[in-house]
Amino acid sequence: MKTSKLLFLASTVWILGTSAAEAQTLNWFSLRQEQRNIVTVNAGYDYAFAYGIGYGRQLNTKLPTVINADFTQPAGEQLFDDFKTKIGAQVLVHRINHVHFIVKVQGVFRRYHNEYVRLLNFGSDMSGVIGYYRSHWFAAGEFGFDKAIVTHFKHSDLYRADFPTVKDGWYKPATGGNFYFGLQAGYSFGSNDITLKLGRVVQEDFQTNPTIPFYLQIGFNRRF
Amino acid sequence: MKTTTLLLLAMLFAGLLMSGCKEELSIHDPGNLVPKTVDQDPTLPSIFVNGALLHAEAFGNPSDPLLIILHGGPGLDYRYLLNCREFANQGFRVVFYDQRGAGLSQRFPYSSYTQQEMYDDLRGVINHYRTSSTQKVFLLGHSWGAMLATAYINRFPTEIAGAILAEPGGLTWTDVKNYIDRTRKFNPLGESLNDVLFMEQFITGDRDDHAVLDYRFELWASASNSKDAPTGNEGRTAHWRSGAVTFNAYVDLGNKTNPDWTTNLDQFTTKVMFIYSENNRSYGLAHAQFVSSAYPSVQLFETLDAGHDMLSFQTGWNNTFPAMLSYLNALK
Repeated sequence: MKTSKLLFLASTVWILGTSAAEAQTLNWFSLRQEQRNIVTVNAGYDYAFAYGIGYGRQLNTKLPTVINADFTQPAGEQLFDDFKTKIGAQVLVHRINHVHFIVKVQGVFRRYHNEYVRLLNFGSDMSGVIGYYRSHWFAAGEFGFDKAIVTHFKHSDLYRADFPTVKDGWYKPATGGNFYFGLQAGYSFGSNDITLKLGRVVQEDFQTNPTIPFYLQIGFNRRF
Repeated sequence: MKTTTLLLLAMLFAGLLMSGCKEELSIHDPGNLVPKTVDQDPTLPSIFVNGALLHAEAFGNPSDPLLIILHGGPGLDYRYLLNCREFANQGFRVVFYDQRGAGLSQRFPYSSYTQQEMYDDLRGVINHYRTSSTQKVFLLGHSWGAMLATAYINRFPTEIAGAILAEPGGLTWTDVKNYIDRTRKFNPLGESLNDVLFMEQFITGDRDDHAVLDYRFELWASASNSKDAPTGNEGRTAHWRSGAVTFNAYVDLGNKTNPDWTTNLDQFTTKVMFIYSENNRSYGLAHAQFVSSAYPSVQLFETLDAGHDMLSFQTGWNNTFPAMLSYLNALK
């Protein structure tokens, strides 16, 4: 039963393919059963300088599970022209004493807008985390994949002035994909966590880097 | 347990739904997000030079002195310099071409780019349009194009009758890098920079995925036209298509080989016209004097009321054209 559940989880993860850094970073050891709600604020570099908020809900399940919704937007003068939302879950799939194995699966919807184009993208983000968790601190490694599965392009008149026959519409197969891997750590006190995660981002060809090939996020969780 | 399974089922369904979308447009196909190149669209004007099909046009009397226009980038195209057609009405044969891998010219793999090819392409273009051995050849280069013009003069100091150089970042790679650093001073929390960076999770491409990388480069280039860019551009300059791979290749080549294009300039005693713009905060008189000092004889010219795009917009063009024409006529 356990094996079939893990296989099911793995296949879900595989089908969804996988975004990066800003899902809630939790100290699973200090998360108590009665703490059903987790709210998060965070800031850092996630492709661009970005800040976000998140909400997590701990489910009453055999495998400890937190479903979550996150909203992130990059810095800039225009609010809400670019943003990323994620809805998904993270599951503590296995535990050996203080060593925890966590799988995160999230659906991603993101928007991008500049003077040339507006992009709407549906994507996925899958990651695995292995870490050592104690009641007041944790340290873990993560590896994940952020996939831009299908993207809608709508170009402005400005871009059409250069290229009048540009084709708007849904673009498929996937328009982008980035792997990320790094470390996460946190300090817990009372019902609060201060978390830090940092790592490297590389395009799916494992040869090409984004302009800033790193991510860094500082977060604060409040559990209640 | 039940809830987890339901949740996973919902995710599985969402995944299947997304993967089941009808296949429509691909970002990898030229003609969708970026125009086709001359090898993909035979209706475009082209010349075959040094093993490459280059997007090219010429205006004016074929026997008039040649004025070769060299666009910036590397990787941009000549569309933003089409004001220079005006020289064709003033007794010059004006030649425009998109450099190898740039604009609408044929694309090549990243690994194929060399400095030698830059020289061979330009020499090939000159030979293609030259109608006699006595026909004078002038170069007009903007930004990277002015560096290319200098590299060519440095290599063949006796072949060129005169040159107009508009804001080359530098004539040695060290100076180029310093200039690039200054032009990239964006507010780290500003819209322009984050527009460039945030986009990178939507669109990715392999090293030689030309259509994808060129499109990304085009979106990236929009930041240089923003009002907080230090180059002082009046607006967005017109382009056909950027060449991201040629840009990456030449920048990496520069970083690897650290070229110095000034080593033979003392042999080029003809006066060059060196243009800088009033509104480009990254350039200025001091940098113009410093860069141009590699030439033995220089006519410095400041274009008023314009930025780095001084040849593309009417104010900058009107303020520069008479001086350029008088320089060329003096050497004609």
